[in-house]
Amino acid sequence: MTTSPGEEHRRGNGAGSAVPAAIDADGLRLTYADGTEAVRGVDLRVPEGEFFGFLGPNGAGKTTTIKVLATLLAPTGGTVRVNGFDVSAEPRKIRESIGYMAQETSIDPELTAAENVRFACEAYGVPRSERDDRVAELLELVDLEDVADKRAEEFSGGMKKRLDAATALVHRPPLVFLDEPTTGLDPKARNRLWDYFRRINDRGTTIFLTTQYLEEADQLCDRLAVILDGEITEDGSPAELKRRVGGEVLEVELAEPAAADRAAAVAREAGLFGDGTVETTAEGLSVTSQQARERGTELLVALRDQGVGVTGFNIRAPTLDDVFLAITGEHLDSETGAETDPAEVEA
Amino acid sequence: MSTDTADRSVRRSTNSFAGDVWVNFKRWNLKAVRNPFVLVVSLVQPIIFLVLFTQVFGEVAGGAVNRGQPGISYETYLVPAIAVQVALAAAVTSGVGLVNDIENGMFEKVLVSPMNRTAVFVGKTAAEVFRIAVQVVIILGLGVLLGAEIATGVAGAAAIVGVGVLFSLWFVAFSNAVAVITKDQESTIIGANLLQFPLLFLSSAFLPLEVLPGWIQTFARFNPVTYGVDTARAIMLDADVMTVVEVSRFGGAMDTVVPGVAVLAGLALLFGGVAVTLLSRASSSNVQ
Repeated sequence: MTTSPGEEHRRGNGAGSAVPAAIDADGLRLTYADGTEAVRGVDLRVPEGEFFGFLGPNGAGKTTTIKVLATLLAPTGGTVRVNGFDVSAEPRKIRESIGYMAQETSIDPELTAAENVRFACEAYGVPRSERDDRVAELLELVDLEDVADKRAEEFSGGMKKRLDAATALVHRPPLVFLDEPTTGLDPKARNRLWDYFRRINDRGTTIFLTTQYLEEADQLCDRLAVILDGEITEDGSPAELKRRVGGEVLEVELAEPAAADRAAAVAREAGLFGDGTVETTAEGLSVTSQQARERGTELLVALRDQGVGVTGFNIRAPTLDDVFLAITGEHLDSETGAETDPAEVEA
Repeated sequence: MSTDTADRSVRRSTNSFAGDVWVNFKRWNLKAVRNPFVLVVSLVQPIIFLVLFTQVFGEVAGGAVNRGQPGISYETYLVPAIAVQVALAAAVTSGVGLVNDIENGMFEKVLVSPMNRTAVFVGKTAAEVFRIAVQVVIILGLGVLLGAEIATGVAGAAAIVGVGVLFSLWFVAFSNAVAVITKDQESTIIGANLLQFPLLFLSSAFLPLEVLPGWIQTFARFNPVTYGVDTARAIMLDADVMTVVEVSRFGGAMDTVVPGVAVLAGLALLFGGVAVTLLSRASSSNVQ
């Protein structure tokens, strides 16, 4: 079957240093008719075989970018090539060679699961003789073979998403766009989809994923770019981005959270953490610094000397949420995507 | 174990224009079969009209009809109008289908596929027109059962089906245009349904124009339903029944059929052009 992972990973098969680009965008701009500058000069190069993550809060320009790459919107500036074809000159060539899963689940509720996949097979010109096998194979891949002949309107949100994902892959596209594919799914359904995305990436498929879930990007992506207000502000592997946060994170839980401001002042005045950042949290204090590990105990001592009670502390590696905080000054809650606004104090 | 990893050159059996039309034609027919409710609903109202009007008004209306067309039963007079009503009612669902497609994401899914976009809409419209043809056939059969006579026989019946289909096109286009503009199911149904009754009653559908008030006669002159009904009725009776446009150069029923078909074709082109323009604008700047 085609579902066995890791057989022929495109990146690893010795194509030399010049891996062809699945996506090559230079100065991509999109300004809507009402003057809204949704994307303001994005440069992107995604080599074939990569699992690429496009991260950003709501309204940052993720979906607009993905729609330009998928030929649903014509860019108002820049050159954009997808699978080697220019989006303006040869959109149909691109459509033939990409899979696209929209943010909103897109299936025909009046058709059965199998009929939905079959329609996609026909739309993408899968040869007639292969259609039956392809439908069966894809439904098995997304664990819907038992409900193949049930109408999609009866499905749960997670099942609909998986069916949608199956229809995006009927023509075995070398490049797949996933626009916030797990938004609104429960953790179990999300994990199943992640498994599935990993499997198709292991088969050599390039994946362009947008998400506001940092955990999702961390789990899946080889490389990430962060988009804010239509511009890419940061890119690199999840590990690189975390390194750029500037050290580890020391979290201190105070006996009285109300004392957080005083504790922050203590941390700042002690001058322990160089150019690290100190901020107050709901529980107490959070310090991000290269010296978080070495100087942590000294902070605890300083707090005790000043009469600030400490009930717990923890030193951890930075998460992508910290990355986001460092870039934007805002938390991007990994579960809900809701933004919180911490009071930030320079140490 | 296979080695079929993704490949740049996607193997694709060539999708022809006709192939793309067929794929979409099949999908919309499948949806229609899945939703027999829609099929039945758009038939029920015209059938109620056919039965009730002939039974309740038959005697009275028959007199008015016979002043212009002696020896014609009201059943025979009414069946062409009901055939047009069916086409009108069924055409409303075309826009509703488009709104549903926009709402459930299939519209965008189709746009991102390599299918020819014109073929996509031709296929959808073909499925709706096919359904309208089937429904008109059902109405004609029912009419004959109730005692209506088609003077031109089986060939005439086929021609009436053709007129029903031709007539439906402008309203199919209209309901799709409303759908694209409102992107809302209720508005599309209401917008199109609201027009249905005024259009039917303010035309030559149920009574000869001569017995109707002057303002209705004036309105009827600009009402597409008049041209659809008169054309179908001319074939039904094998006579020149059109009074809004006087043509005499073709002789007999053709004096109605030729101008009627011309007007309906013109309307289809006009409304079709508007709908296609709106649709292609919606496709190229498909922004949430």
